[in-house]
Formats: sequence, C-alpha cells, structure tokens
Amino acid sequence: MPTIYPKCNPTEMVGLLVLLDSHKGSEDVALLARDLDLEIDEILPALEYSEVLGLVQVVDGRATFSDIGRKFVAASIRERKALLRDLLKRTTLFRTLLRALENHPDRRLTDDELAQIFSLTTARADDAVQNIVNWGRYADLFRYDSEAHSLIPTRRPSAPKGGGGRTPPSTTPTPSTSGSALKKPPTGSPPESARPAPVAAVT
Amino acid sequence: MPLIQVEHVDKSFATGHGSISIMKDVSFIVKDADFLAIVGPSGCGKSTLLRLIQGLDRPTGGRIVFHDKGVDTVCGHMAMVFQNFALFPWLTVAQNVAFGLEALGWGKERIAAQVERYISVTGLDGFQEAYPRELSGGMRQRVGLARALSVEPEVLLMDEPFSALDALTAESLREEILQLWRDPALPPDAVLLVTHNIEEAIQLADRIVVLSRRPGRVLAEVTVDLPRPRDRKSTAFYDLTDKVFSLITQPGPVSEGPGTPEGAPAV
Repeated sequence: MPTIYPKCNPTEMVGLLVLLDSHKGSEDVALLARDLDLEIDEILPALEYSEVLGLVQVVDGRATFSDIGRKFVAASIRERKALLRDLLKRTTLFRTLLRALENHPDRRLTDDELAQIFSLTTARADDAVQNIVNWGRYADLFRYDSEAHSLIPTRRPSAPKGGGGRTPPSTTPTPSTSGSALKKPPTGSPPESARPAPVAAVT
Repeated sequence: MPLIQVEHVDKSFATGHGSISIMKDVSFIVKDADFLAIVGPSGCGKSTLLRLIQGLDRPTGGRIVFHDKGVDTVCGHMAMVFQNFALFPWLTVAQNVAFGLEALGWGKERIAAQVERYISVTGLDGFQEAYPRELSGGMRQRVGLARALSVEPEVLLMDEPFSALDALTAESLREEILQLWRDPALPPDAVLLVTHNIEEAIQLADRIVVLSRRPGRVLAEVTVDLPRPRDRKSTAFYDLTDKVFSLITQPGPVSEGPGTPEGAPAV
C-alpha cells in the first residue's frame, strides 16, 4: 500500500469509482480524466489506491471494475465503509498498524511511533502519517486523538479478546477474490528497518 | 399539492441611491420527491432565492408558499448546505451536527441518538470527535450534510455545495446526495440545488430552472429525462448542456424559449 506518495483522500478514490461506474465499469484512463477536465496524473493516485485495494484492474491503460469494485460502487454509503474496512485490513500496512495499536501498552500510537514503524523519513513523515490516519479513520479502523496526536482504538465492538487479549485471533491473510492486490510487490526501495514485515515504502 | 410554490417573486435591495433589483417575477414549484436545480449566471440571485425560500429573508414582491402556508419565518422543514461548509471550528463533528437539534430544544439523549444516526448515514463514523480542521473538504461537507439531515427536513437546500471541492471528491458527494435523496427511509423528500455548473445540474436534477442575468427571471424550465447514472459524454447529455448554456448566454432580455416563464403548470 502506498504510504507516502501518492497522496489521495478516500473521497477521491470513491469519486473515481463513481466516475468509472458512469462509464459502465470500464474505460480508458485518459478518457476518465478528460470527463472531469483533469489531467491523467490527477487521477492516478486514486486509481493506484483502487488497484491496490483490488477494486479496479488497469490493463493497457484501461481501468475495469473487479467483482469487489462493482459491489463497492453498488453499495450504500454505510456498506462501502464496511467494505473498505475489510479491504484495508487485508493490507500489510493496516494489519501491522492495528496489531501495533492492539499491542501497545497504552493502546494508543503516537504519530511519531507510527512514522517509526513504517520507517518514514522526517521530510515526508507528516504527510504520510496524515494520509494513513485519514484512511484509517474513514474506514473506521481506529480513531484519532488530535490533541495527543495519537491513534486510539475504535469504539466499535471488536473481536472478542481471548487470554491476554493481545493480537486478534485471525492474523493470517484470508484467501481473497482479489488476491493479486495482496501479492502486489512494494514499489520503490525496500524498508530500511530490520522489521520483517514487508511494507510498501514508496519513495 | 406542491411542497413549495414560488409565486411571482421580486427581490430588490435598497442602496444608497435607490434600489437594485436582484430578481423579478420568478415563479416555479417544487414537488414532493423533486430534484430541482437552479442555474444562472453569477449575480442572478440564485443564492438569494434559496434564502427567500427558507424564510431567512422576505421577497419584495410576490410570495413563497410551503405546503399551503406562506413562508414568513425561518422554515424548520428545510435545511441548507453551504458552499464553504459553515462549520463551527471550535466544535467537534458530533457537536456541529447536534447544533441544529439543540436549537430545536431537543433533550440530550434524543439529540445524541439522532446525531449518531446521521453521522452513520453520511459515512462519518469514526470522526465524531474530530474537529473541522482535521477534515478534508469532502468530509467537512459531509458534516454540513449530516447537520442538515439531522433535523429531517422535507427539503434540502444546497447552495453551490460542491464548488469548493476537488473534482473527484465532488463526484463522490454528488452520488451520495443522490443515494440519500432516493432512499425513502431517509430525509430529504426533495432537493433544491443552486449551482453555476450546468453539467452538474444535468447530472443530478430532474428539472432545471434557468435564470437570466440580473435581474434574474426564469428563462425556462428544462426537464432532464435521462436515466441515472447519467453519461456526460452521451449525445442527449451534451444537447441539454448546449440548450441550457445557450439560454444563459443569450444577450439581452429573452422573451421566447421553452418552458413556462409564468411558472409551472397547475398541479
């Protein structure tokens, strides 16, 4: 999952999906951009996110809905949020993040700790952190305490805690219909930290 | 029975040396389940018209009727969404949404439940305690929308609601407005959208009231009979854009044109 660049709001990605839907679910990327009087690179961030989440496939410059993408765009506002929550949870980035939040002794994660986990360099850390926080909040994966600059758990009832109540029971990735999204190799240079979890740190 | 009847409305404002006429003899109706757009060049009085309809201001001539009562005070059955969101920066999302309900004198628990409901409906779950400064434009407008819907208005008034948003976010919010409007279990019944964006009007509305330049008069009412989601690149869409654009850009006062400048046919 792109963490630093490109920067894209969830509403932009939803807008792109709605746009694709008005083109009957499949369209040349250039024509999609032109429909809103945009340049191609203005829709690329949203397109990339939708690809990584398995909502859209782009082949030979043509974007087409996957089954999940079609389901997403046909869903209500509330259903989309739930769908997005599931899709984000399947990404390494958000699984790592949620696990870190869950395991933290205070059950909160500051911006700095988040930046450290993903080896974000100082110059880009703020933007990247804000982007991650934005997506996580949008999908109701966690809340954000703006005074303390920290991620805190969501209020929603989560999976029942067993034993020490640490990591949630299912940490293995479930086989999904959009398996290609999970296996998408991180673009750009490999993470600098020694942490084993692969993270897409895009430079 | 129409929801709203705008009957021969004039509006002028006093200036230092007399008065300036903003609109003249504007008539149209808003029916239950309508999605009506009002388009026109800047200065034609579109925003003023919304304020008159809601009762925030009074016409100089003519009248506005809601159901069968004249609108002479702020109508609680309508709510407005603004171009620049108009959120209170010192209040959280939940507090902003609650604001209109507090003004109605509701009890704390009832307000909390209603706020939760409309935060959920508009996709703002997880942002309850956020402040507007933490939100993107699109999310701020959702708060504006949640606030408006929480009072369960029959008519949602929208004053250029997407103009301050980036193109993709605007696209997503337009579609969400349509979803909410179409849902019979949710407010509003009808939407009245003021926009300078002709394509947006055609994309969303069933009917478009086209106003002239100041003093704004109704040039025509254009019906949009296309199935949704509407394809901006289709010939039918283009023809409508062309038609509305031609109406608006005609030089001088217009005395001809389709539609009924005196107002819609009697229901």
